[in-house]
Amino acid sequence: MDGAVNCRLGLVASAVLGAAWLGGCAGAAQGSGHGQVTAGTVITVSAAGCGAGWRHPHSGPQTFQLRNVSAGAAEVYLINPLQGSLDPDSVSAPVFAEVEGLGPGTTTPMQVDVGSGTYAFECELQRDGTRIGPIVRIPGDVRGTPGILSVTFDDLIGSPIAPFAPARQYRAYVSSGLDTLASEVDALMADVGAGNLATARQAWLSSHLSYERLGAAYGTFGTFDSEIDGRADGLAGGLHSPRFTGFYRVEYGLWHGQSAADLTGPVTLLDHDLRGLRTAFPTMRLVLSDLGLRAHEILENALQFQLTGHDDYGSGTTLATTSANVDGTLELLKVLHPLLTTRYDGLPQAYAWLHRLQRLVDAARRPGGWTPVGALPASQREQIDAAAGQALEDLAPIAAIFEVQKQI
Amino acid sequence: MSEHGGTDARSRGPARRSFLRGALGAGVAGATVGAVGGAAVSRAVSAPSSVVATGHAMRAATEAGALRPVPFHGQHQAGILSPPQRQTIMLSFDVTADGRGELTDLLRVLTDRARFLSAGGTPPPVGISAPPSDSGVLGPVVVPDGLTITVGVSASLFDDRFGLAGRRPAGLTAMDVFPNDELDPAQCGGDLSLQLSAGSPDTVLHALRDIARHTRGGMQVRWRVDGFVSPPRPAGTPRNLQGFMDGIANPAVTDAAQMDSLVWITSAVSDGEQWTVGGSYLVVRLIRMLVEFWDRVSVIEQENMIGRRRASGAPLDGNDEFSIPDYAADPNGFVIPLTAHIRLANPRTAQTEPSRILRRGYNYDRGVDPVGDLDMGLIFTCYQQDIQRQFVAVQKRLINEPLTDYILPFGGGYFLALPGVTDASDYYGRAMLA
Repeated sequence: MDGAVNCRLGLVASAVLGAAWLGGCAGAAQGSGHGQVTAGTVITVSAAGCGAGWRHPHSGPQTFQLRNVSAGAAEVYLINPLQGSLDPDSVSAPVFAEVEGLGPGTTTPMQVDVGSGTYAFECELQRDGTRIGPIVRIPGDVRGTPGILSVTFDDLIGSPIAPFAPARQYRAYVSSGLDTLASEVDALMADVGAGNLATARQAWLSSHLSYERLGAAYGTFGTFDSEIDGRADGLAGGLHSPRFTGFYRVEYGLWHGQSAADLTGPVTLLDHDLRGLRTAFPTMRLVLSDLGLRAHEILENALQFQLTGHDDYGSGTTLATTSANVDGTLELLKVLHPLLTTRYDGLPQAYAWLHRLQRLVDAARRPGGWTPVGALPASQREQIDAAAGQALEDLAPIAAIFEVQKQI
Repeated sequence: MSEHGGTDARSRGPARRSFLRGALGAGVAGATVGAVGGAAVSRAVSAPSSVVATGHAMRAATEAGALRPVPFHGQHQAGILSPPQRQTIMLSFDVTADGRGELTDLLRVLTDRARFLSAGGTPPPVGISAPPSDSGVLGPVVVPDGLTITVGVSASLFDDRFGLAGRRPAGLTAMDVFPNDELDPAQCGGDLSLQLSAGSPDTVLHALRDIARHTRGGMQVRWRVDGFVSPPRPAGTPRNLQGFMDGIANPAVTDAAQMDSLVWITSAVSDGEQWTVGGSYLVVRLIRMLVEFWDRVSVIEQENMIGRRRASGAPLDGNDEFSIPDYAADPNGFVIPLTAHIRLANPRTAQTEPSRILRRGYNYDRGVDPVGDLDMGLIFTCYQQDIQRQFVAVQKRLINEPLTDYILPFGGGYFLALPGVTDASDYYGRAMLA
């Protein structure tokens, strides 16, 4: 390994492993050589013997064979027992590796690259609660799989000590965005009502971008999202289906010569559905583990539907949508930031690539509107796609880190 | 993993071509089907110079599940002289890295991934810190399966983006346009070529996904064609999709002197181009074969266009695949027409000897055209010391050959396959960027 490797934006860095593993740079992403993973040390999982069997501790990539001899299901974590809390009601310590859903009587491998430090197995037993195994010390200065302090519901929901928790902040962001949207859609309704379709096209764009900025992806808003921002795909009749409603339906009409009268229905329905969402949102259940997933899913959608041009129903503004999606992603990172800085070394690269993507996308904005992706020069489009792809690689670990480990 | 069909290959009997394959495995490439190498080396020395290795040994090894690793480090890159594997992916990328620093990062990462994928091993566990570090396509342990990764750069990399304008070797230019070409710009050129070859389709796809995942910000695929080398039917040089054996008359990759005079860039180049030493110029031509039209042509006409028998691969004046055509004895082309492909491509004269190229062709097959005809053909690749002296000279002799009516060159490019990565601290293009 060349310690002098100097990575700039970290093309490298995180892609697969996250900078945490790589020490932030290229050159380190080597797997172990052939056959270096030992066949497997058998580790007992039970109330009486949690963690028993780790007889000859050593550093390096290795496999533990976890044997659940308890009478119920188990979850097993390899933790750093000297950091965090070992309170059996709520263990909170850095996790190096995990195996979930280990059935009674079964054996499952756990792969980990053991570095210098302190280790213990934590057995969460369906029948017997939590047990912590013997503490194992690995001397020296060897880098291994990073230990991540798992995110708890408390981290996300907040407590009297940390009132500005991500969930609350995110909810406030969406609520305020929905307020903005309400007035923008009022303007859109008014323009269509007055037969002023040129202005209506501008009002459509600003309101659609406001919606896209919320970062709705994969059912954040339940069925509201498919009513408000659904595609014609998957509907019998496609563009002519009565169930094709919302922003894209209105876009299709505004850019395909439909009259104000044709558009009154779709615009009214859009307004109705947005009001419905605004009313329902305060009582909608926020799936907390989704916050981490959204960190890359918003942009996954942008890559799949906007940067391909798929969701262009006539306005040629999918790059504007992408820019709005980057805004939504950045907002999400902002609320998750305090929990991320201590857990993810690749965060600066993720920000850097998001900003680079936004800069490249915004360069496609022209005085009269936006350049459709298909009309971009090939080199410009490649730059955008590359930045989106790299940003996604750098965002992906966030979902893994935010997977709420403790379901108790 | 290292178990494969060496014994099996031997038991199939000593088809001549398998000797060279074995010799290559043991000697030049150092690995592939080494099991047959021991007995083969001494025989290979006296084998005809025109043989490129292919054959039973490779087939046996592939059938056994996985080829042995091909050494990654060396003066030259793998995948140039090493025995052609069954599967390949040929790609060209546009570099999206911003400036020289990011280009250097890109080449370093590419080197790291190629080094790991070529050797195989267990991908690092990431715990709960990230999605899995490997796609899992090859199972929990990455098998090398004879993977070779060959990286090239084109003239377009030497513009003002990376401060390399002054470093472009004079012989590295944009691809020439020849009279019978129908080039699609989207399938031509690109800044960087990458060829991934291995024993099985899953191995090359795994490598591609791994490399793409690690280099998303640095480069974007410009064009890609998947290819394959057919097994010998029934023996000898593999056939192309016109049904003819293809690449019979290659220079001998075991002849180091010949490789130095035809394939490798040697220190004879100018001072400013010393960084290219150990590299080789690569020409890629994507050539569709109009197979429906071809199949409507009589075999005699086909053979006259090629200059060989379709069934045996023998030149029309010879008895077997490796007979040397005697053009001097047939000056008017009564036996092998003056316009036959093999005669124009390699007239076998002292004057044309320096224009010989090392061909590594792959068949491709990718769907259907607008009139329902099959889109298949040849990924023509060749290595040489000097593109103008070799490929271009050959191609100029081939202009308007009768075969042109049945083929359609539509893409490709000129590249410089970089010098090899010599050790663990070296990386692709280090000398170029120095």
